[in-house]
Amino acid sequence: MATAAVPVAPGRQRGAAPDHRGSWLPSGAMVTTRFMELRKRRGVMVTLVLVTIGIPTVFLGVRLLLHAVSPKTYGPAGGYEIYTALVSGVLYIFGFIVAATLGVTAGSADLTEGMFRHLVVTGRSRLALYLARIPAGLAIIMSLVAVGFTIVCAVCVFAAPTRLQYNGVAVPAGLSRTGLESWAADHADDVICNFNVKFGPGSPIAAVLNNVPCGDGPRGPGPLSAPPGAQGAAQPSDAQVRNAAAAIANMDYPDYARHFLAPSVSLMVESGLWLELEAAIGFVVGLGLGSLTGQRTVAVILMIVLEVILTPILSRARIPHFANLQRAVVGLATAHLAPGGLPVLGGGGGGPGGGVGNPGLLPESTTVAVCVIVAWLVGWSVIGAWRMMTRDA
Amino acid sequence: METHGLVKRFGDNVAVNGVELLVPRGCAFGYLGPNGAGKTTLIRVLLGLTRADAGTMSLLGHPVPRHRDQALARVGAIVDEPRFHGHLTGTQNLQILAAARERAAAERIGPSLERVGLSHRADDKVSKYSMGMRQRLGVAACLIGDPDLLILDEPMNGLDPAGMQDMRQMIASLVAEGRTVVLSSHLLDEVERTCDAVAIVDRGRVVRQGPISELLAGSSLTLQVGCSDAPRARALIAGTAIGTADGTHVTVEPTGLNVILPAGTGHEVIAEINRVLVASGIAVYRLQVLQASLESWFLQVTSRLGEPQ
Repeated sequence: MATAAVPVAPGRQRGAAPDHRGSWLPSGAMVTTRFMELRKRRGVMVTLVLVTIGIPTVFLGVRLLLHAVSPKTYGPAGGYEIYTALVSGVLYIFGFIVAATLGVTAGSADLTEGMFRHLVVTGRSRLALYLARIPAGLAIIMSLVAVGFTIVCAVCVFAAPTRLQYNGVAVPAGLSRTGLESWAADHADDVICNFNVKFGPGSPIAAVLNNVPCGDGPRGPGPLSAPPGAQGAAQPSDAQVRNAAAAIANMDYPDYARHFLAPSVSLMVESGLWLELEAAIGFVVGLGLGSLTGQRTVAVILMIVLEVILTPILSRARIPHFANLQRAVVGLATAHLAPGGLPVLGGGGGGPGGGVGNPGLLPESTTVAVCVIVAWLVGWSVIGAWRMMTRDA
Repeated sequence: METHGLVKRFGDNVAVNGVELLVPRGCAFGYLGPNGAGKTTLIRVLLGLTRADAGTMSLLGHPVPRHRDQALARVGAIVDEPRFHGHLTGTQNLQILAAARERAAAERIGPSLERVGLSHRADDKVSKYSMGMRQRLGVAACLIGDPDLLILDEPMNGLDPAGMQDMRQMIASLVAEGRTVVLSSHLLDEVERTCDAVAIVDRGRVVRQGPISELLAGSSLTLQVGCSDAPRARALIAGTAIGTADGTHVTVEPTGLNVILPAGTGHEVIAEINRVLVASGIAVYRLQVLQASLESWFLQVTSRLGEPQ
């Protein structure tokens, strides 16, 4: 090889400007420009807005309209039941999926669009380039989830029914045990005929109940086991009937107490935080997966399969010897952290405290659930960052 | 820019094979090679886009990859076809890149776009840019870092003649400012017009490097002879000491004779050829010495490597 000397032109003498581009910490400008890059993706943003804000808004809007037009046919738009349905049925499942979609986009777009190479050539730490996406993406998805959730809360509180439908009976909401007993005594026929309570065959109340006419016959069908020959006995007095109704109300109170006209403030706060946690998990996992695969379509499909198919199955199935593996599913862990009263993963939980100890779900302690979530967040971040740092650009 | 024994393999294929390269500061340096010679791979290794399997390298005096961040702080590069986020404008794409550089980089976005002639389209989405405009945006992306070293991989791709002229002028102006420009290309004519020095790479190895003038001075001359009887003239020359010398090759062409003479051949040799032909009764009506071009030299150097050793 021949090597000849080349004359050197007059040099541009200049000291290197001090910066911290070797640092793994992203600068504020990196985060804000990454935020801009994601926010300007029209297709992704339209999807995010439609799912997190559009679906609940349209659903509640239609209910508001129908109730305004025909209040007797269509119930109130809001209320506790609607709240739980929207939060655990729509925002929880679809919030995770759109958050994951945004994460996958953030993790793969630079690669697929050829920008990654330009960024690497700046000399900036690849880890910083990766980490800049996390606050940027979370700022988008968490704010959208917050807006959608706020709309749900507002409608469910302000358009809540004024009376509670409990076992088909309009009952005042928020009564104390004594208050419910008192109300039951005043509406004894409704309570005796509709409230779902069983008494033993020898119970004196059962004898009373079996002699109270409900529709075509005595209270039935079959919740009571009256002693043979009891039917046809003397009609109970008013006092007996009132006492029986009060006793039923007393026994039913724990169940009644779980029914509300509107979601409580504490439930809304807990639900909001829980939804944000779910969205954050979806984004971080999607980001790691997108960075690992380097492309969007497959990663999004995998995330949908995880959330819609695998998680519900693995959360409820009892697979011998694989219970601990099932507990490692992040969807099961977040379901266990659900606030009380939210039926999650296809329903069946319900009621306050239904998240933790939900009988439909595979048992898991809160500590294990928290550990699983942390492991998923850290694990996928490490995988995504590692791939970004070692990938050929 | 300096490399020693740089090696990069892809499986059994050695894309960069022990490259020794020295690019002095403040010049326009052409990095030439046929397709698949390993030009882009070497650039990717230098910039830390992929890892080297062996060897050492440094950029602007900083060893790479150990002090990659310091080295790349003053390097701008286009590798392969420049691609950007299509849904963002040119300015927004540069803002993302500026954010990854030092704070002052953001202030250079406007002047950089101005310099590459993209100011009027700076707020258009990149998806609406032509190939040439993306190429200009790529150069602007290099300039926002106020680089001491620019590495441009095929920067003329997609440019129209006016754009190529602009690019040549810009490279010249960058060099005049004291920056070093490394130009990887297979457009030999462009490199010859733009660069002060070149390195030729073939099959992953640098086979020649140095100032173009010095390299061409060491290459063979071609003498075109217009005469009345070319076959007999060929036989006559072949019978002389000139014809039997190493590096001399005589061929008959439709236009006459082509005599390839070794590097350093003096005018007296050309006069002697003329004398021999005329003395033998062959009418000589044209003698033309063709100056060796980078293209002819490049073909000689690279084709020689293709022959069995």
